[in-house]
Amino acid sequence: MSQITRRDLIKIFGASAVATSGLLGASKEAYAKSSAHIVIVGGGIGGASFAKYMRLANADVKITMIEPHPQYTFCPGSNEILSGHETLENLTVNYNTLKSRFNVDVIQDVATEINYEGHQVNTLHNGKISYDKLVVSPGPDFDFHFVDGYSAELAEGDFPHAWKAGPQTAKLKQQIDSMPQGGVLLISSPRMPYRCPPAPYERASFVANMLKETNPTAKILILDSKDNYVFQNHFEHYWKQNHQFGQEGSRIEWIPAKKGGVVTKLDATNKIVTTTSGEQIKADVINIIPEEKAGRFAIENGLALGSNWVPYEPKTFASKVHPDVYVIGDMVDAPMPKTGYVASNQAKVVAAAINDLLAGREPGTPFITNNCVAMAAEDYGMTITATFRYTGGIKDKGFSTQVRTSAITDNPYTNRIRAEVAKNWQRTFRKDMFS
Amino acid sequence: MKRTLFLALLSAGLLSLNAQAVAAEGGAKLTDAQIKAIIDAQPMPTGKMLADNCSACHGTLGAEFNEAMPPLAGMKKENFIKLMKDYRANAFPTIVMHDVAYVFTDAEIEAMADYFAAQKAEEWTRPDFKGAHE
Ligand SMILES: Cc1cc2nc3c(=O)[nH]c(=O)nc-3n(C[C@H](O)[C@H](O)[C@H](O)COP(=O)(O)OP(=O)(O)OC[C@H]3O[C@@H](n4cnc5c(N)ncnc54)[C@H](O)[C@@H]3O)c2cc1C
Repeated sequence: MSQITRRDLIKIFGASAVATSGLLGASKEAYAKSSAHIVIVGGGIGGASFAKYMRLANADVKITMIEPHPQYTFCPGSNEILSGHETLENLTVNYNTLKSRFNVDVIQDVATEINYEGHQVNTLHNGKISYDKLVVSPGPDFDFHFVDGYSAELAEGDFPHAWKAGPQTAKLKQQIDSMPQGGVLLISSPRMPYRCPPAPYERASFVANMLKETNPTAKILILDSKDNYVFQNHFEHYWKQNHQFGQEGSRIEWIPAKKGGVVTKLDATNKIVTTTSGEQIKADVINIIPEEKAGRFAIENGLALGSNWVPYEPKTFASKVHPDVYVIGDMVDAPMPKTGYVASNQAKVVAAAINDLLAGREPGTPFITNNCVAMAAEDYGMTITATFRYTGGIKDKGFSTQVRTSAITDNPYTNRIRAEVAKNWQRTFRKDMFS
Repeated sequence: MKRTLFLALLSAGLLSLNAQAVAAEGGAKLTDAQIKAIIDAQPMPTGKMLADNCSACHGTLGAEFNEAMPPLAGMKKENFIKLMKDYRANAFPTIVMHDVAYVFTDAEIEAMADYFAAQKAEEWTRPDFKGAHE
């Protein structure tokens, strides 16, 4: 039998050449290689999940990851640093296992520019890197202009947002710990969409629980740019039971947007914020969680098509700009919350799709869940299970949504086990990408 | 349901929800008929596609053997199917699995069962791991 099969062609020319010829015409580089080269921008949750799951699916492709930092610090769990239940060290991982066991070439550098037609991505220090497929997961950038007087420099200085776990988290903890007795922590919670919708309230909870012991007359004021939020029933239930929420002397106060909760201005010198209702509020510690948009790399390379978030082809998460560039994580404009759980599952969809395409198969139907757990305390957890099915349509950006959240219960064991599930998730999730 | 009917439903706006709000707040629910239409309109996701969604809690390839979560790697097919169907039916109280399992069809549960039954029942990470060959 002398018929040349697709498999033989892959052996001779490399999978990428066979897979992409006839679509766009593969690049010259692709023909010259013995196996496809997949390059990843960003070694966070989306990028690392993709690298590992791509390798699980395919031992032969060449995988290169571009990430400026030698380590990655997980945001999930970082609110618990503020109350002393978690440490930055414990949430920080390195890329050694991805390099050694999963044969990922990790380049410590910043990706700058995509040459779409030339199939190359430029970097600050390592020049141009050719790819057959590019996977982009740079996360979000913070958009400070919604609050007059706030800036990236102030966030690095005395007004940490701590919405990316790291030195700002440590700084915020130190500020909260040194508040005077009876001091005020002000948290400004942003409009949707932003990464991890329940996290501002989780933050308020963990800090309140600690203050109850260390600084019992201190107060937390949440100024919200929304009128409601996920798990609101759970948080308010817990706060009523533990912090007199809604009563005289409550440790936590929550002001929704419609009652003037939107912060418009920061007077950094005097530690005063101004809200839409014109009220001026002074606080000892001011934690403004900024609005977000797709990371600069995505915006500058036109992946957002002029908007703030990146559109995608729902079946494969290929970008709208070029079919060999895939977009995942917080920066995509998906009808899904911006969580690490979702970012990692989008990454698995892309790994499966690329593996199918390289083998000459039609990509399969994607399936994405966000089965997330949040906490109000070390002994109070809450769960949300969301399933996103690919519809094949264009409404709702290609996915349907089914959601359930856990019911309120006064059974302390149930609340406690839910919190244990959350802690297990954090551990196992970190391992799922980095070991 | 036929694909054309499904598309007609879509364009009639019946499935047009503010998905971002739904995702965040658990708002308006799709009816069983709408869900069935969505499932029927596409080829079933592979067992791997479905099952890899479990890894954040149960470990890579379902192979996390810690105190908090039961491992799925190497689980007998019948046991997996029975448990998932019991969860789906809310046959007994669980912390979260009834809220996870209710979305899956029989065929999807079986495909996941096959996938996990085929995995080595050994703690991840496996030093011998090399990746699959096409
Ligand atoms: C306080 C807090 C708590 C959270 N808790 C949870 C939780 O409990 N559960 C959950 O699921 N999610 C949680 N999240 C959300 C989660 O952290 C994000 O959804 C997730 O990190 C998104 O992954 P990503 O890959 O899009 O971005 P990231 O994980 O932010 O990764 C982006 C990476 O890209 C790199 N990068 C950026 N630009 C470039 C460039 N030009 N070149 C190369 N590399 C670049 C960055 O250095 C970074 O490492 C939480 C977030 C916060 C802030």
